[in-house]
Amino acid sequence: MKVLAAGVVPLLLVLHWKHGAGSPLPITPVNATCATRHPCHSNLMSQIRNQLAQLNSSANALFILYYTAQGEPFPNNLDKLCGPNVTDFPPFHANGTEKAKLVELYRVIAYLGASLGNITRDQKLLNPNALSLHSKLNTTADVMRGLLSNVLCRLCSKYHVAHVDVTYGPDTSGKDVFQKKKLGCQLLGKYKQVIAVVAQAF
Amino acid sequence: NPESPVVHLGSNFTAVCVLKEDCMDYFHVNANFIVWKMSHFTIPKEQYTIINKTAASVTLTDVASLNIQLTCNILTFGQIEQNIYGITLISGLPPEKPKNLNCIVNEGRKMMCYWDPGRETYLETNFTLKSEWATEKFADCKTKRDTPTSCTVDYSPVYFVNMEVWVEAENALGKVTSDHINFDPVDKVKPNAPHNLSVSNSEELSSILKLTWINSNIKNVIRLKYDIQYRTKGASAWSQIPPEDTASTRSSFTVQDLKPFTEYVFRIRCMKEDGKGFWSDWSEEASGITYEDRPSKAPSFWYKIDPSHTHGYRSVQLMWKTLPPFEANGKILGYEVTLTRWKSRLQNYTVNDSKLTVNLTNDRYIATLTARNAVGRSAASVLTIPACDFQASHPVMDLKAFPKDNMLWVEWTTPSKSPNKYILEWCVLSDKSPCIPDWQQEDGTVYRTYIRAPSKGPTVRTKKVGKNEAVLEWDQLPVDVQNGFIRNYTIFYRTNIGNETAVNVDSSHTEYTLSSLTSDTLYMVRMAAYTDEGGKDGPEFTFTTPKFAQGEIEAIVVPVCLAFLLTTLLGVLFCFNKRDLIKKHIWPNVPDPSKSHIAQWSPHTPPRHNFNSKDQMYSDGNFTDVSVVEIEANDKKPFPEDLKSLELFKKEKVSTEGHSSGIGGSSCMSSSRPSISSSDENESAQNTSSTVQYSTVVHSGYRHQVPSVQVFSRSESTQPLLDSEERPEDLQLVDNVDGSDGILPRQQYFKQNCSQHETSPDISHFERSNQVSSVNEEDFIRLKQQQISGISQSCGSGQMKMFQEVSAADAFGPGTEGQGERFKTAEMEAVLDEGMPKSYLPQTVRQGGYMPQ
Repeated sequence: MKVLAAGVVPLLLVLHWKHGAGSPLPITPVNATCATRHPCHSNLMSQIRNQLAQLNSSANALFILYYTAQGEPFPNNLDKLCGPNVTDFPPFHANGTEKAKLVELYRVIAYLGASLGNITRDQKLLNPNALSLHSKLNTTADVMRGLLSNVLCRLCSKYHVAHVDVTYGPDTSGKDVFQKKKLGCQLLGKYKQVIAVVAQAF
Repeated sequence: NPESPVVHLGSNFTAVCVLKEDCMDYFHVNANFIVWKMSHFTIPKEQYTIINKTAASVTLTDVASLNIQLTCNILTFGQIEQNIYGITLISGLPPEKPKNLNCIVNEGRKMMCYWDPGRETYLETNFTLKSEWATEKFADCKTKRDTPTSCTVDYSPVYFVNMEVWVEAENALGKVTSDHINFDPVDKVKPNAPHNLSVSNSEELSSILKLTWINSNIKNVIRLKYDIQYRTKGASAWSQIPPEDTASTRSSFTVQDLKPFTEYVFRIRCMKEDGKGFWSDWSEEASGITYEDRPSKAPSFWYKIDPSHTHGYRSVQLMWKTLPPFEANGKILGYEVTLTRWKSRLQNYTVNDSKLTVNLTNDRYIATLTARNAVGRSAASVLTIPACDFQASHPVMDLKAFPKDNMLWVEWTTPSKSPNKYILEWCVLSDKSPCIPDWQQEDGTVYRTYIRAPSKGPTVRTKKVGKNEAVLEWDQLPVDVQNGFIRNYTIFYRTNIGNETAVNVDSSHTEYTLSSLTSDTLYMVRMAAYTDEGGKDGPEFTFTTPKFAQGEIEAIVVPVCLAFLLTTLLGVLFCFNKRDLIKKHIWPNVPDPSKSHIAQWSPHTPPRHNFNSKDQMYSDGNFTDVSVVEIEANDKKPFPEDLKSLELFKKEKVSTEGHSSGIGGSSCMSSSRPSISSSDENESAQNTSSTVQYSTVVHSGYRHQVPSVQVFSRSESTQPLLDSEERPEDLQLVDNVDGSDGILPRQQYFKQNCSQHETSPDISHFERSNQVSSVNEEDFIRLKQQQISGISQSCGSGQMKMFQEVSAADAFGPGTEGQGERFKTAEMEAVLDEGMPKSYLPQTVRQGGYMPQ
């Protein structure tokens, strides 16, 4: 279920489309201020690359840790249960401009960050003893938070883009245990796949 | 008016005191009567200002004290000082701007920032660390009271995102903010130290050691550079691998240009490759030994000829100096000596010692010497042993020796023809010791040298010996025996059967710990001190490693003792709880001699004396002619029956010649008194006996035979009587009595005039009962017998003269007349009633005599 999250702090959805429908690139009004708490650092792109590399280097380990912690039938049915079949996942075009890539990256990371939050919440209930998994989920979520900050800073400082519309994945809170595990596994499989592409693109 | 005003240290402060008018009238005062006091000291009037009739002020200039108690007082009625109001002045300084703010991110932990708080404010000053990203703010970090100059944030650090951090300092006098610093936390990382550092050598190259280690997890995030240091074991100074060789992430490194067969110690640390952040702590040290190499130098070689010639041969002692470890490059396995006479090869010798004695002809010889280790041989030292008639053509001239710089220098004039080498021989001239020549080898190009080798080796001793290690210590060699600069020491240690191990120690040390020793083993250790020219061994020292480490014995003994104590305690408790059962199974019933009674003297003589001196109760020593038998209320048998049974005994006594003994038996033998003594005398005799004595009657007859001679003997033993097994026939008599007697009275008191004669028992009854062989209750029977014995004894005294004579002389000492006798059998009765096991029972009665136990 696709959820439009306009007004969600800090990710506000801006409904100003530069191009026609289907083009998600947002536009900041000319007179909109792109305020940050302090000036953004100059090496943002380097930091973003490092963050993407950091995420990429740990994504597979997180995926393995996750499906191992779920127990059977997940480890032996990865294709069926953990295939990267995530609908609604924000698109990413590696051959776009830096601005477009940053906007798409923002959406991807916002989507992943929210999903990771759901997974972390579910796993703390479903596998309370999988402390290593919890730790890795938290670390990944922290890195994503920092990446969002950097991307936003870059969009703001260079492209004057203050707001990006984002989408989130389905809410898993009402689903049964198996579905929660399965959706988490699919999401992490997708994350592993996407982050490799994104890291390569920057 | 503030209660506790805070003022700037050094500033002026004015206080005003206002009087209430109604009070003024009541006390007849005005502002002129105000007295200001500061910490109980009156402030001079000059500092007062009378504002009006009701108000006066005081001004404190340059407040310097941190805490001032200022009070306003008034002199009521002109003389009585009363306090009106007071305040505490607190003075201090506003915070200075915090400086040198910096942060550190210890890997795996949260970020901590620290700063210089500036001058002392003398006030409670709060420091708050503030931090934010460009897009969001983090929670403030408030310092703890004990660490006002640092704060550890609550959130995990996120690398590759710049953050801005600053500190706010605030107290009652102001608030100030430090400069903001902006940084990426990854540039403030202090990585965890590399771990599992290991060192391995190479058989191919004796000059290298390879280090391997495991990097911390931070290597997945940042690239690292390293700092590797090493030193020889025992040295104190570290050498460093050039930083440029270790400037990138790696997990191994090969250290080159090391000395062969030398133990090196390594340590490593790391930091972010670009130098931002902090070095990690040093790793744990790891050591390794380079592989052996062939000896790098030929040993110094010399000879000594025995002056005595025998049949054209001469005894030559070849000697050489052992190579110091840094030249031996390994364990010297032996020396090879060759001797060549003219040009023909003569003989090879393999020697482990540092000398070789050979018999040579008077010809010229060429000797060569090589040292050998596991890898190879040293270069050869060549020595010419001249022919017997050789005359040196170019002798060394002008040999001089002189001290200089605490060394003994030797100088000479070089011969015109340059020699290959010089050998310098010397000995110590002393009245106490003979001249033992020592020598050293010098290069052929020198003309002066000093005596270099130490003349003494260090004396090593143990400082502490543990199970697997020993701390050795030694004193620095005195300068006058060093003969040069001590470059290093070598410690050689070995077990009785093991190989010798050598360890090099830096010359600055005076202590070294031998590790990996075997427990409970005798070790021999010696030390050599080396200068550049050679070394000298010190005396050998032996020590034995203990079998147990310190505290190990205690660790074993204490639990064992505790277990033993616990077991003992449990055993005692068990025994205590089961004492009756144990008593029954382990030790026999021991009659209490103090409660014993003489039961029977012979098969035909009923027991007469059955009393216990200790139990005798003389309720009334003046009983004379009255005989009283007291029977307890629970007696089932009527009193006459008891008396009847007593009569039985009297009859028995009449029918048998009683040979008795008892307490005071020996006195019986010695007594010359006629048999007219009364029972009272008997009683008194027993009463005077303080210890229980047992008399034994050896009956010369058997069963019903009357012995021709009566033999009495007396036992002086005070040993308790044991309850012996009784034969059924021993008990027949008693059983009879039992049958006639029934339940005994609890107490019986007998007066000694036998007033119960009218209850004389039927002899036939006695005889009949004597045939009964079955005994149901042994103790019961004994008790009956005992009681009856007592009765018969007392009664018998008045019946038969012969018996009376014996009993009087026997059981009762002379001069103890007129005493009543009381037989107390209450305890025994109780035993009977309850069917308890036998205990403290009277002696058994055997036919044919009294049977001592």
